[in-house]
Amino acid sequence: MRCIIEGNGVKVFGKALHALSRIGEDIWLDPMKRGFAVRSVNTAHSAYACFLFSPLFFQHYSLELQTDCGAVKCRLALKSVLPLFRCLATIERSVDRCEISFNVSENRVMFQFYCRHGITKTHNLGYQECEALQAVFPTHLCPNVLKAQAKLLGGIVMHFPVSQQEITLSISPQRANFKNYCDEECDHVNSVHTEISLHPNEFDYYQVGVDSDITFCLKELRGLLSFADSHALPVSVHFGASGKPVSFSVEDMLLEASVVLATLVDPDLTEPCQADPTARHCTMRSGGEGHLAAPSQNEGRLEANVANAAPQQSGVSTHERVPSSQSSPVFSPAFHMRRLMELREAGRPRDEPRVTQDLGQALPTPITPATYKIRSLLFGAVSCEQRGDCDVELPSLVCGSDTEDDGGEGEGVKMQH
Amino acid sequence: MPLSTQSQAGDEQYVLVASLDNVRNLSNILKAITFREHAIFNATKNGLKVTVEDSKCLQANAFIQADIFQEFTIKEDSVGFQVNLTVLLDCLTIFGGSTVPGVSTALKMCYNGYGYPLTLFLEEGGVVTVCKINTQEPEEPLDFDFCSTNVTNKVILQSDSLKEAFSELDMTSEILQITMSPSQPYFRLSTFGNSGNAHYDYPKDSDMMELFQCTKTQTNRYKMSLLKPSTKALALSCKVSVRTDSRGFLSLQYLVRNDEGQICFVEYYCCPDEEVEEE
Repeated sequence: MRCIIEGNGVKVFGKALHALSRIGEDIWLDPMKRGFAVRSVNTAHSAYACFLFSPLFFQHYSLELQTDCGAVKCRLALKSVLPLFRCLATIERSVDRCEISFNVSENRVMFQFYCRHGITKTHNLGYQECEALQAVFPTHLCPNVLKAQAKLLGGIVMHFPVSQQEITLSISPQRANFKNYCDEECDHVNSVHTEISLHPNEFDYYQVGVDSDITFCLKELRGLLSFADSHALPVSVHFGASGKPVSFSVEDMLLEASVVLATLVDPDLTEPCQADPTARHCTMRSGGEGHLAAPSQNEGRLEANVANAAPQQSGVSTHERVPSSQSSPVFSPAFHMRRLMELREAGRPRDEPRVTQDLGQALPTPITPATYKIRSLLFGAVSCEQRGDCDVELPSLVCGSDTEDDGGEGEGVKMQH
Repeated sequence: MPLSTQSQAGDEQYVLVASLDNVRNLSNILKAITFREHAIFNATKNGLKVTVEDSKCLQANAFIQADIFQEFTIKEDSVGFQVNLTVLLDCLTIFGGSTVPGVSTALKMCYNGYGYPLTLFLEEGGVVTVCKINTQEPEEPLDFDFCSTNVTNKVILQSDSLKEAFSELDMTSEILQITMSPSQPYFRLSTFGNSGNAHYDYPKDSDMMELFQCTKTQTNRYKMSLLKPSTKALALSCKVSVRTDSRGFLSLQYLVRNDEGQICFVEYYCCPDEEVEEE
């Protein structure tokens, strides 16, 4: 496999790598027919990002797969790739052309930079052979869709300090609110509370199917936003109820990029819905009907709904927030999830329980084991906090990843509780 | 000038007196060879040579010609002493080493001969500091026996092109391999690190290449840890001459232009690591 990037493209590619470096420690390079995918996932598997460069992005793009080797399965440590694209400010002027080629038999990827003054830099990096990383997140099924200029989102994020871990996006047909998230341990006296409220008019597109409050990590998002900002691309946000993943994506003629983040489950809203699963489903349906943003007369009701969002309110208006989050996918009954497979890397670092728990809600569509190829992995969706009365087996956000150190390769492993 | 009034004792007693209007012309170039505490100073009527060595494998020399100094008086053919270079640099920059134009520290450096301290008079804005640094028994610098008649390959490059390469070098590599050859790859720097290998190739017709005189293909490895200090000299320099002799010894000569546009030289000698086996 060989591809050539020229001129400004080198900087764009480098910027993408920098954005990915906000996510994880490794990147997966996946040259495919429809483009060159570069992906990353964080160690907690609560954030995933993918940049797909279309063949048009390259001056030359050929797959030429060796017959015996099949597709390239390449995982590289970001810390060995990032230095090659370190000086992005000057790379445009100093590098005329960058060539990336794979030597599958030796497990090596070669980055060759043709620089001014005739200087050539060749980097041969050994990679780890492993299965492609792939996230399964059908954004077209998300009830809520926002689209905004990167500048707008960047401007919002800018107001949160770098130390801010998570922010909450609350959405209703009337408003979109961004505020910093504080958990119980958070010192309410000494912390700054920031809340930014936006009218739907601010967005290029505003579709609210379900009123929801989603809380997600900001750190992993910043990379994509700065990438989008530097290319003046609009960012689409797809999400559903809290606890389900949120996707931020950009695309233009030459590339697509997306970041999928797990969202927190609101513990206050979780308990009632677990107590009464039947009622939950009613509520979900009502919430899932979906509607586009429209001027509404119900604006005043919003605040009240937060407090009393109880499962038995099956007759609530579409403006009602979906109370559920824990195991209440809008589209998929819980039993579908029960049988989802999970292959977990041995000794994979676990994130805090609440985040992994959220990941359990990652799949908004019914996915049966057959949907997955055997090699697919589900991210660690196991939580030690999981309650005993919840027998739903949690599926996960992303599948893929290396299996070489996993004894369970080739067969699905049931999740443990 | 305040400095002259300070040394009423008379300059006659000193075997070496050197004055500079701008101490940065000395301190900058000394910084380029600061990788060990001890520096051997050797003054002749041509100027000052300062030598720093490491592990009997690396030697750095800074040459400050007599005409860089506003005054350079030496009473013997050769005056040698050894001082702690870190201490000397601390003294030379005692006024903060300001880079503001028009503000400079003047220096008068005096040495009274064997057993005496090195005396520095530093003046900035009418304030004078006198520093006395104890001198040590001078060691005999290594003789690398690098003579130009044995040079097999030589290139002169504009430093900018090497600065980038050296700033990007994979420091997980224990060695830096230098290949010089009359045919391709002409001049190549290679590293072999944890994540893979990297090669930087400079064609002989590059406009960064001022001179290309290679007679024989040579591949030698040098310890990265030994070459690392030379990047300080590289950063200051505008041109660098890279030479290897028949034994694979490396000479790096840096041409450094000071604030006044005068030229000084810094030179590094380095022993090759071991024979390259595959060739």
